[in-house]
Amino acid sequence: MPTITVDGNELEVEEGRTVLQALDDAGLLMNGVDVPHYCWHPKLSIDGSCRLCQVEIEGMPKLQIACNTPVTDGMVVNTTNDRVQTARQGVMELLLVNHPLDCPICDQAGECKLQDYAYEYGVTQARTQEPRRALKKNVDLGPTIVFDQERCILCRRCVRFCREVPETGELVVQGRGDHSVIETFEGVPLDNDYSMNVADICPVGALTTKDFRFKIRVWFLQDVPGVCTGCARGCNVHLGVANNKVYRYVPRRNDAVNETWICDEGRMSYKRIGAEDRLPRALLRGELGVPEAVSFDDAITAAAQKLLRLREAKGAGAIAGVASAHATNEDLFVFRRLLDALGVEVSGVAVPRGRSDDRLIHAEKAANAAGARALGFGDAGAVAERIRSGAVEGLIVLGHDLLETVGGVEALSGLDTIVALDSHASDLQRVAHVLLPTRVAAEKHGSLTNCDGRVQKVEPAVEPGFDARAEGAVLAELGAALGLPGFDGRFDPFEVSKALAESAPAFAGAALDALGDTGVAPGDPV
Amino acid sequence: MLKVPYTTGYLSEHFADDDYTTLEGYRRRGGYEAAKKALTQMAPADLIELVKDSGLQGRGGAGFSAGMKWSFMPTDTDKPKYLVCNADESEPGSFKDRILIERGAHQMLEGILIAGWATGAEKTFVYIRGEYAEPARILQRAIDEATEAGLFGASCLGTGFRHEVVMQRGAGAYICGEETGLLESLEGKKGQPRKKPPFPAQYGAFGMPTTVNNVETFSHVPHIVAKGADWFRSLGTEKSPGHTIFGVSGHVARPGLYELPLGTPLSEIVFEHAGGVRGGRKVKGVIPGGMSMPILPASELDVPMANEFLREKKTMLGTGGVMVMDETTCMVRAATVITYFFRDESCGQCTQCREGTGWMNKIALRIERGSGSREDLDLLLDVAGKMEGQTICAFADAAAWPVQGLLRHFREDFEAHVREKKCPFPESFEL
Repeated sequence: MPTITVDGNELEVEEGRTVLQALDDAGLLMNGVDVPHYCWHPKLSIDGSCRLCQVEIEGMPKLQIACNTPVTDGMVVNTTNDRVQTARQGVMELLLVNHPLDCPICDQAGECKLQDYAYEYGVTQARTQEPRRALKKNVDLGPTIVFDQERCILCRRCVRFCREVPETGELVVQGRGDHSVIETFEGVPLDNDYSMNVADICPVGALTTKDFRFKIRVWFLQDVPGVCTGCARGCNVHLGVANNKVYRYVPRRNDAVNETWICDEGRMSYKRIGAEDRLPRALLRGELGVPEAVSFDDAITAAAQKLLRLREAKGAGAIAGVASAHATNEDLFVFRRLLDALGVEVSGVAVPRGRSDDRLIHAEKAANAAGARALGFGDAGAVAERIRSGAVEGLIVLGHDLLETVGGVEALSGLDTIVALDSHASDLQRVAHVLLPTRVAAEKHGSLTNCDGRVQKVEPAVEPGFDARAEGAVLAELGAALGLPGFDGRFDPFEVSKALAESAPAFAGAALDALGDTGVAPGDPV
Repeated sequence: MLKVPYTTGYLSEHFADDDYTTLEGYRRRGGYEAAKKALTQMAPADLIELVKDSGLQGRGGAGFSAGMKWSFMPTDTDKPKYLVCNADESEPGSFKDRILIERGAHQMLEGILIAGWATGAEKTFVYIRGEYAEPARILQRAIDEATEAGLFGASCLGTGFRHEVVMQRGAGAYICGEETGLLESLEGKKGQPRKKPPFPAQYGAFGMPTTVNNVETFSHVPHIVAKGADWFRSLGTEKSPGHTIFGVSGHVARPGLYELPLGTPLSEIVFEHAGGVRGGRKVKGVIPGGMSMPILPASELDVPMANEFLREKKTMLGTGGVMVMDETTCMVRAATVITYFFRDESCGQCTQCREGTGWMNKIALRIERGSGSREDLDLLLDVAGKMEGQTICAFADAAAWPVQGLLRHFREDFEAHVREKKCPFPESFEL
């Protein structure tokens, strides 16, 4: 492996990498070794056109662009000397020659690389006199993205993205020279499953999403690392949080999962967190069959009573447990323990299914199906079968995905006891005897196992504005109310995760306080 | 009848003769004998050595050793290899390739055949300037003639060596004369130069190893094969052997094409061959090698036209397109026109070129219109300096150099505009 020296740092580099790639591989790029760049992106082909990443390489008379210069053994790179800085300043000045400098009204301000680098590497005074380019503003590129041609610095990341990632190629550069503009290909709107990524990779305020633009200034947002729960891929995200509200998901880089991308559907799934149809309170079906709001404690007590009565009458075999693929591993571990202690033998997990592709979009539309299966929850079809046959008369059900499995709520209407834990409203409300509101992944600590077996952590980004609890917490209380051994009513996801990590190889090394931001998978180097 | 002012050398010797444009006529004058010799008696490696020894420099503008370029073609590849003949001739002031095709298509094709054998290429794409409708027609006829006669095809000259020639017309962009911009255009894409590495010899047309040479470069090759490297080196200068065809335009009495040895003094070209400046006026400046090369003032015209001498004057031979400007020429207006051209033709990929060409044009126009300041002169130089040597291709250099040249030698013109707040040259044309 070639060894190169960058600003005194010696790096062992994989053969065939370029200087910028080598810095990125080593985790040093913009994190110890600052080589500003626009057109280069770690997951797109090399363009070499913005020319900002010029560095000095010993033995080469001209400055070289770090993004496209292959490393050779013994290469000595300087990224900080006067010559490099002068070149950078030159590029920055030229990039701003036609830029509208409308930061005060630009939604990118605060996370704009043009703004950041202009402060860091640029000049303070414009030397232009003539009017800047007057181009199209507020161009509707498609259902998700709005484009400002004047702000565009023509790094062409978006063009390459559309060609290389969704492979739909909607965007092109029209024209030449300083009259070049990004456009959609004649009559083809920017409309693909990953379209909103172009707003993330756009270094300036040219491409913005219709969903997020003008909602909030980004400097008010706190970026909380998390995982998209839209499907089993478990794409890593940053939840943009302010005022106890999630304003957006943006993809967070995890080369083992989603690289730097996320699908549009997953991105928009943040809306489920603060949705109107969240279950805000515990409900208990009264004697008249009408659900009434009750306190959490009363609901737990009632649930325990109903379950114990059924067990007494028909035995534990009449009760089944249905796990949710949305719950965390810690929640489900508690559920597994509860079912075992109660003597319940029939259990399963209901996994909603939908469209998939060969990139990120997974057919299983929940974030923790693999974790549920690893905890012994098989297909919920087995439970459905026993409900149909009348063998099962009572259910402890997490979430409402079972409705899809059994083919509608009517299939459950004859059951003696349904204790449901759920985060969002559904038809389950019509039949559940006790309904306990739960938290979503963005509101709790826990881990989720993605489709490849990677265990990834989530942490509370927001607090629900009502009394909702993690499934694990609800079940811990229910276990105590049921008088089950080993249940004292307390739930600490960190403690649970430690026990979980020791209990099964699928969770080895996955205790919450040991999980890094990108998770662990069985094959990972230790 | 085509008017060819000078047919003074081996390249253009028969250009006045219509018969020479036919395959039969070309063969009657010894045509394709060099190719026969090369394909039947010479190993490819020896041919490459011969061309290296001859010192033939590429005639497309950069002046790089043709033999060296051929030697970059990999010999250990399974991929098909290609040649590209650059007939885009888009440099303003350059029109030699046109005559080389119109009057000497077979000479060029013979050079292509020899180069194909030397480099192991199975196909040559001739990429011809879109505006060259008539040369394209003539060239296609010559290609068809030569192919029918078995000079090209599955077994060139019956040797078993396979080589085809395919002509592709451009669509009118200066940048498609840059070799990798040409390759993109050839592949049907937008004409934008490719970043290097990879170089065309590794990844060229359609991803295959490719060598790109200019029309004139190929045209010299049969003569080198026929008469030897020593003969070729006996012409021109020590470092720049051989002839070239200078295209003289502008304010001269006899604009036209002149085949002369490299190293011929620029003054001889302008005053003797092209008959000096029209109307008894004085020369003000001469662009020696196409518009992208820095201008020389009247006082420096004794320079021999070869890169080793022109470099000392901070300019280059380029394509040998000599553009003469007389004393009535406003050099600020010239700068405005030149920067406008480059602004319009920049492909727009690289920041410095995209933004710099436009900015230089705006500054030049401002000065020309009398609203420039003294600081604008330095600003113009500063912008040019920011563009030079920092981009994917040499276009930004080509845009910066003429501006630097004009300011180096004619700063007084610029200062006069600033001082008088108008253009002091009455005879200028409308912008």
